[in-house]
Amino acid sequence: MIIVYVEPDNKTLTFQRHNTVLMLQKALGLRVNDALIIRGDQLLTPDSRLNDGDEIRVRKVMSTG
Amino acid sequence: MKCRKCKAPAEVALPSHNTAFCRDCFATYFTGQVEKAIRRHGLINPGERVLVALSGGKDSLSLMLELSRLGYDVTGLHVDLGIPKSSVAARTKVESFCTLHGLKLRVVELEKEGLPIPEVKKYINRPICSACGKIKRHWFNRVALEDGFQVLATGHNLDDEVARLFANTLRWDAGYLSDQGPCLDAESGFARKIKPLYRLSEFETGCYAFLNGIEIHTAPCPYSGGASFTGHKRLWADLEHQSPGSKIAFYDGFLKRGRPAFATVELETGAPLAPCEQCGSPTSTGLCGVCRLAIAVAERRAADPDRR
Repeated sequence: MIIVYVEPDNKTLTFQRHNTVLMLQKALGLRVNDALIIRGDQLLTPDSRLNDGDEIRVRKVMSTG
Repeated sequence: MKCRKCKAPAEVALPSHNTAFCRDCFATYFTGQVEKAIRRHGLINPGERVLVALSGGKDSLSLMLELSRLGYDVTGLHVDLGIPKSSVAARTKVESFCTLHGLKLRVVELEKEGLPIPEVKKYINRPICSACGKIKRHWFNRVALEDGFQVLATGHNLDDEVARLFANTLRWDAGYLSDQGPCLDAESGFARKIKPLYRLSEFETGCYAFLNGIEIHTAPCPYSGGASFTGHKRLWADLEHQSPGSKIAFYDGFLKRGRPAFATVELETGAPLAPCEQCGSPTSTGLCGVCRLAIAVAERRAADPDRR
């Protein structure tokens, strides 16, 4: 299972499986540069593989004022 | 995905540039874009003091850190809007950031100036984002001039600038189209205004902030729901996704071919400016817009039965 924290919405989502960051972004309706995808202290690129047990932070970057 | 420069594993993918970088090479790329903006548009001259407007968000804090690392004499300016919870959180981030990095900071409290944003929202019948923007720009310029800064820097990024240009173009607003750009020269009571991040996207400044461990204020303003720029940004994100590089091409094309034409028109029609009778800020009327706002808020507050 993968746990995903979405900022700044403060939502927590769980996914059974996503092979790559790109698949996760598509599931969240995000384009490649809509959000930072963070695992630990690292940024992930769209081709990065996700593993069972990963905790991922999705930090949307569009400022709204 | 590997870094284009050093072939190490990449952390930042940039479809707009058809490239990707590891964190070290991304830092070099980011600095290069800021230096290119400064050099190409003469944003900062040697020895000049730079006042950097700090909201607490990723753009302004990234700009402050990058300019200080480039060796510029920078001082932060935070305008505390007086919005419960939100303003306290933003100010705390700014103060912590400046303390951590040993950077100078000035804070203007709108509560003390008689214009807390909640009261402006309550008593003034105009879009609050417009009034708030006007008040902040007023204080940015006023502090810059009163405290002897030659340059006022803001963290506007490429997405901000493209959204603004798009909105101005939809209205064919010749006044705004005549001077939108990364550098607005000092004149008639205005400090020089610069936007050194104009070549970098929100995603890129977000990456920079994260990779440099900058703690940012992420909560949106509680009053900003439905702001039109956000809708324009979404439209442009779609365009950029379908056609990478569209944003910088649109903006650079405007700077080269659009702005000069509008600047010529505005020279013929622009209203003359004089110091505000009350605060000295430049205005085309006797009292500047912010002094008129302050008077209106004070009058309506005094007449408000809930405040008696």
